[in-house]
Amino acid sequence: MNPLYEHLESALQRVSGFIYPNEVELHWGLLVVIYPYITGLVAGAFILASLEKVFRVKEVEPTYRLAMLTALAFLIVAPLPLLAHLGHPERSFEIFLTPHFKSAMAMFGFVYAWYLMVVLLLEIWFEYRADLIAWRKQSRGLKKLLYWILSLGSKNTSPEAIAFDRKAVYAITLIGIPSAFLLHGYVGFIFGSIKANPWWSSVLMPIVFLFSAIVSGIALVLLLYYITSMVRRKTPDMPCLNKLATFLLIALIVDLSLETLDFIHRLYESEESIEILRRLIFSKLFLSLTIVQLLLGTIGPILMLAFARFSRLPDEMKRLVYFVAAALVQVGIFSTRWNVVIGGQLFSKSLRGLTYYKLELGGVEGLLFGVALLVLPFVILYVLVKVLPPWEDTRPSEST
Amino acid sequence: MRVGKIPGQVVRLAIVLIASLVVLLLVRARFVPESFGETGHYRADVVPAIAAQPIRYAGMQACAECHDDVAEVKASSYHRGLTCEGCHGAAADHVEDPVEATPAVPSGRESCLRCHEYLGARPTGFPQIIETIHNPMEPCAGCHDPHEPTPPAVPGECSACHRAIASTKSVSHHWSLDCETCHLTPQKHRENPRAHLPEKPVAREFCGRCHDRAAESAATVPRVDMADHGGRYPCWQCHYPHDPEGHS
Repeated sequence: MNPLYEHLESALQRVSGFIYPNEVELHWGLLVVIYPYITGLVAGAFILASLEKVFRVKEVEPTYRLAMLTALAFLIVAPLPLLAHLGHPERSFEIFLTPHFKSAMAMFGFVYAWYLMVVLLLEIWFEYRADLIAWRKQSRGLKKLLYWILSLGSKNTSPEAIAFDRKAVYAITLIGIPSAFLLHGYVGFIFGSIKANPWWSSVLMPIVFLFSAIVSGIALVLLLYYITSMVRRKTPDMPCLNKLATFLLIALIVDLSLETLDFIHRLYESEESIEILRRLIFSKLFLSLTIVQLLLGTIGPILMLAFARFSRLPDEMKRLVYFVAAALVQVGIFSTRWNVVIGGQLFSKSLRGLTYYKLELGGVEGLLFGVALLVLPFVILYVLVKVLPPWEDTRPSEST
Repeated sequence: MRVGKIPGQVVRLAIVLIASLVVLLLVRARFVPESFGETGHYRADVVPAIAAQPIRYAGMQACAECHDDVAEVKASSYHRGLTCEGCHGAAADHVEDPVEATPAVPSGRESCLRCHEYLGARPTGFPQIIETIHNPMEPCAGCHDPHEPTPPAVPGECSACHRAIASTKSVSHHWSLDCETCHLTPQKHRENPRAHLPEKPVAREFCGRCHDRAAESAATVPRVDMADHGGRYPCWQCHYPHDPEGHS
């Protein structure tokens, strides 16, 4: 038998109810789940970094540079899942050459370029400029050349120049916060504006995406700060961790409230899709939505963080609880993206049937490639940390 | 590297930015086709390029100029919406040279089945057959003139056109019911099916005539409390009336 028919025959045994022929196979798979997950981490990490610069939250200062580098490492990887999913990555630059202002998807290139070039790279450059000059002076050979290129040949470390850098960082962060909202709000907008899909079509979608992004970004920086401190055999700064945990707790509560509002709103509206969505939630998404996203990824961490933050646990214990809560939040937010992207394609437009999604192991849309894409930002971050150490105690400009 | 009152670092960034913009403009000049955007968000030159491709289809009007007798018959038949070349294939070369290039004449069953083989997704009442049951091996044109495909005789049974429904119903709990028990069908439906559609039940109460607890039907008929069974949904939301227990 034709292998296509064989595939269709086995696929049809997994669907239930009535579904249209073009809905049996999902068009957006794991890669499209990874894409909003990664952009969310970027936006969240940046918003956390901006807390210190704009809102003067001094406690989180030790994580400022790490958060910026994390945002950059993840932003570099952010378009890769899309390029891999669409194929022909060599053509992607054409969206810059012939911009289409009426297409939200075509504008992604510009949102991305704005965020990368105008916000992240500029802010990191101004933040590190004095250090780059100092490192250049201390280095030899290729490393010296690298720091010369990175500092764009800049030499001025006068107090006026450094004061200007600080002002520039402040100004860029001010622009950066709405830009981070734009970047991840945009991803939510793409889903929220698909009016034919009742699981996606909601004006709350960009806001829900944004808050889940903040949650995941804070949790990631908390995890990285904890792990890097352990690796460097330093005790993590406890007021910093406490503050991060407080922000994470607040962001989780706001995120949960928004998701609940969205849920109640759907229930109250009770549109014709409510029946199939109920079946979706209780069958295909029960594990990933109710158990992983809601219980393990949201309510569990809220209770853990609230308990650890406001109890008299010893610091070591608190750190451990924060770590576990932040790790669970990551799993929960990944599950959130999964439930949005995969969940939205599991039911038929006829509202009468459900299809299935089976993750493959190999191939571009497979598990291994997905894992590689999720590991890649950490590799990039490792290189960035080696080139631009973010630690307070290794800042050369402090001593000059 | 200070320029006037502009700090050195801004000047350096400006140089990088200007260099990037120059590269972008050069790449744009190299890769964006000249005619892009003249008539929309695409390369305008593509329109004459497509127009220059050889014409393969002549169009129905060209056929009707010579075959006006066939065109007249077809125009008043159920196949009036079909183009000639839909069945006979591209015929521009036939218009150019009617003797040398002759269009295909489908003779078997295959090309008719492209539209008339039973498929659940086709509209209700659209003439569909199950190929293995409907006069097997006979070429369609033996009974139906493709230019005027109305059946030679008015069908006696509903199953002549609604074969799939009849097959499903015949092995269901509703096997003993006549179609007209639920569908009040005007006689003219058999002659001109689309102009005279049968009626369908529109409310739950219709099913309740046999299936309500108070109904006066045979004791073997399953009963439900129509007031609370299935909420506000019509019965056929869950029970397909031609196979109410879902055997097929």
